[in-house]
Amino acid sequence: MASKGGKQSRSDRKGAGEQEEEEQPLQAVLVADSFNRRFFPVTKDQPRALLPLGNVSMIDHTLEFLTSTGVQETFVFCCWMASKIKEHLLNSKWCRPTSPNTVHIITSELYRSLGDVLRDVDAKSLVRSDFVLVYGDVVSNFDVSQALQEHRHRRKMEKNISVMTMIFKESSPGHRSRCEEDDVIVAVDSKSQRVLHYQKTHGLKKLQFPMNIFHSGSDEFEIRHDLLDCHISICSPQVAELFTDNFDYQTRNDFVRGILVNEEILGNQIHMHVTKDGYGARVSNLLMYDSVSSDFVRRWVYPLTPESNFADHKGRSCTYSRHNVYRGSGVSLGHGSQMEENVLIGCDTSIGANCHISNSVIGNNCTIGDNVILDHAYIWNNVHIASNVTISQSVVCDKTVIKEDVKLNKQCVLAFNVVIGPNISLPEGTVVSMHHPEEEEDDDDEFLSDDAEVGHSKDKNKQKGAYRVSEVGQEGKGYIWKASSLDDTEDEELSQCLWGLVLNPDPESESEASEPDGPDDPVIPSPEMDDVKVFQMEVLGTLQRGLEENIGCDNLVLEINSLKYAYNITLKEVMQILTRVVLDYPFQQQGSQLTTSQYVALLLPLLKKWAPVFKNYVKRAQDHLDCLCAFEEHFLEQESHWAAMVKVLMNMYQLEILEEEIILRWFSQGATTDKSRALRKNQGLQKFIQWLEEAEESSEEDGE
Amino acid sequence: MPGSDKETDLTERIEAFLSDLKRGGSGTGPLRGSAETARETTALLRRITAQARWSSAGDLMEIIRKEGRRMTAAQPSETTVGNMIRRVLKIIREEYARSRGSSEETDQQESLHKLLTSGGLSEENFRQHFAALKANVIEAINELLTELEGTTDNIAMQALEHIHSNEVIMTIGRSRTVEAFLKDAARKRKFHVIVAECAPFCQGHEMATSLSKAGIETTVITDAAIFAVMSRVNKVIIGTQTVLANGGLRAVNGTHTLALAAKHHSTPLIVCAPMFKLSPQVRREYTINNSNNHFVSSGEILSKVNVHCPVFDYVPPELITLFISNIGGHAPSYIYRLMSELYHPEDHEL
Repeated sequence: MASKGGKQSRSDRKGAGEQEEEEQPLQAVLVADSFNRRFFPVTKDQPRALLPLGNVSMIDHTLEFLTSTGVQETFVFCCWMASKIKEHLLNSKWCRPTSPNTVHIITSELYRSLGDVLRDVDAKSLVRSDFVLVYGDVVSNFDVSQALQEHRHRRKMEKNISVMTMIFKESSPGHRSRCEEDDVIVAVDSKSQRVLHYQKTHGLKKLQFPMNIFHSGSDEFEIRHDLLDCHISICSPQVAELFTDNFDYQTRNDFVRGILVNEEILGNQIHMHVTKDGYGARVSNLLMYDSVSSDFVRRWVYPLTPESNFADHKGRSCTYSRHNVYRGSGVSLGHGSQMEENVLIGCDTSIGANCHISNSVIGNNCTIGDNVILDHAYIWNNVHIASNVTISQSVVCDKTVIKEDVKLNKQCVLAFNVVIGPNISLPEGTVVSMHHPEEEEDDDDEFLSDDAEVGHSKDKNKQKGAYRVSEVGQEGKGYIWKASSLDDTEDEELSQCLWGLVLNPDPESESEASEPDGPDDPVIPSPEMDDVKVFQMEVLGTLQRGLEENIGCDNLVLEINSLKYAYNITLKEVMQILTRVVLDYPFQQQGSQLTTSQYVALLLPLLKKWAPVFKNYVKRAQDHLDCLCAFEEHFLEQESHWAAMVKVLMNMYQLEILEEEIILRWFSQGATTDKSRALRKNQGLQKFIQWLEEAEESSEEDGE
Repeated sequence: MPGSDKETDLTERIEAFLSDLKRGGSGTGPLRGSAETARETTALLRRITAQARWSSAGDLMEIIRKEGRRMTAAQPSETTVGNMIRRVLKIIREEYARSRGSSEETDQQESLHKLLTSGGLSEENFRQHFAALKANVIEAINELLTELEGTTDNIAMQALEHIHSNEVIMTIGRSRTVEAFLKDAARKRKFHVIVAECAPFCQGHEMATSLSKAGIETTVITDAAIFAVMSRVNKVIIGTQTVLANGGLRAVNGTHTLALAAKHHSTPLIVCAPMFKLSPQVRREYTINNSNNHFVSSGEILSKVNVHCPVFDYVPPELITLFISNIGGHAPSYIYRLMSELYHPEDHEL
């Protein structure tokens, strides 16, 4: 009772926007998995959400953002290394009983995409009203309440039309926190803020917009390229339902595209909210990690600053002084060492003499020797760096040891527990991990390997033999992940993706490395032949089932229609395939060594049964011809059964599937090859045609 | 169990207050004046006194100190919180002394002789249990709350003594106290107010709108024009974030410029500061808030520059003519005396 009173007053203070008519607490869905392998050799040991950014786990940044924006209930979905995330959260301030934001942790190893998560949200019916959707690696200080208010207002004005409000930050191209691969171009209705078109540019110079977006009634449009997608969206509960209905939606991109394309059919709309101030970015690769970290240290994310200790770790507070230098408690700095600017040093770290440190983040319990130069270095916890080391723009993970006289050039990554040196210089872009890159391919399928697996792979390491001295130094431990051999292009891609340095990406490699993209992706080859073949199999299956379960012809038509749309088959092809399948049906069922009479005996009842199906498709004269062509093709392949041909044709004529006129036309015109001419010379057929001609004449005479 | 229920409620409230403080000052948290923060802190301390488990004054002081340390750490730039904690500690000391029967005065006067002979007023003196202590402390805190309620009005009441007809007054940024002060004077007198806008946050714009709505003739100037305009000004009236122990100010950025210009032209500088802004701190701190700055649009430049946007200025006491608090006007040299009246010397460091 009393605690309720407390909450009440809190939300009262949060402003009028939130509690207009519904007193529903604001909920959020936090996806603590990236579903890609951008950070790969690093995330093999620790999930991305737990990687430290400014000495605080990324997920803590995200939860702090959610809490400060007024979210009262958060569902955290974990997949990769779920147990670690769970453990972290249970020990954090978010799971204390006093936390204003109740955190529920939901883990499953079956999530493979954002789509799976949202389908699960729908299945478990977790959300009751509008919710905030974020990833576990978003750093932001927005106040979403205004966007939320707009969203709710829109939904009240037009019942449930708007399903999603995406939040963008205004930032012109070239801004540090703009990520090349996330560059978007958005067409928007300037009055209603309705999103008309949303496209990732992927470095393209030319972009195409469908014309119909400009005919949608409004007279003012904006096409904007100065927006940064913050990956924060306010969703209605319908979003989860829509994901369930459309099982092919994997990512938010799929969803947005699907909604925009099907807008007229489903009537759903997406809106956006652009904010000018505030900070929001998603750490999607190491380059972004670099820029978000430095923004964090430079206080762009105020009030989320390093010294505010918002994650509430005991004894982890640090002091702030000029030039953005932060020192944790128990930091010792040797004689003559300089911390120039934008430096964050964690607790109990000791730094030797004559060091130069600038633009760097150093974790807790690190030891750094003398004469060390660090620039744009991100050093995590418990790292040991010996004297005379130079590091520039690199990431050094937990428990790494760097021996004397090592030089790390730009964009090196040392994953967990690696030992480097002494006396070695790692070239630009080197990635070193304790995991062998080849072993990576072995357990590729077991993406969700657990701890036992890791132990197992360590044994394998030993089998694979010693570490190369030329790569990691005399006492070094670890394997180079960089593509030293050019044949292994996949690795090259990987190390680039880690830093997200795909500046002029050829679209293929780009999207392959990222998540599986939507239908219009150029990578996924959709050879038409395959579709046609699959369609044929499906039709055969449908008919077979129809026969076994005695399904009515109407339903069969319906099923074939839906298949037609699923595989994008033209009507002409449907006709031909249908004919072929039906004529082939007895062979399919009984084997190809049927005698002609047996064949006919089997086929005729089938034809009678499925006549309505044919009639549904075969309507115009052209259809009849197409049907006959398929018929001809079929019999050209089955020369031994020519005798049956005339009976089948006769039957189709009698069932009114085919008209006599068309049959005559086909007979007189259709012959193009020798074989088809031979077919037309078949006696039975000629007799049938003659009979038809006579019948026609007689009917004409009758008419006169 | 009602007892534990009460306690969880209490901790919940404290946590909520702490997180509000942490987010305070930015757009994301609830925006409050320092008067409101002071009231909330005091109300929370009253609740702690009423609901926490303690048997003697020493226990209570320990609890309040512990929570107080957390609260001040949550938002170091908000000194009001620490000040209110010190006030409450002082109240507890006084009430304890009264219950014990010794007079307040003897305790309050820390003479050199007494310091030498007593060996310090140690904590064990507060171990005695008095049944009435709780009620008395709460009563005294209530009095403090009433005092807080009235501070702005008390200051505004003195306006007519300082502002005369047809004067030109300069102020900077937005201070609720100064706003009330000027509006109060405007009821009787006609005068002209010049507001320095206080970029980059430009709180001065809000101030000017509010003043002109009250019918005061108002002009907004840029910060760079302060010196140029100063020669025309009769008085400078400003608010402050904190009054430091030496009589100096920690006030919104730009105040130092203003104070120096006023000194140059020998214009009196009057500071409207309620008593709860008086802080025993002398340390200068450095706060930067980059959150809503105006460089965001020029994206490419941003990657190559460091942007610093300090929030507070330190103004030395020599530049200040007069403090107007809710209990009257004081010279900067008198601040140390007020300090010793308000806070107990042992509480200066929480």
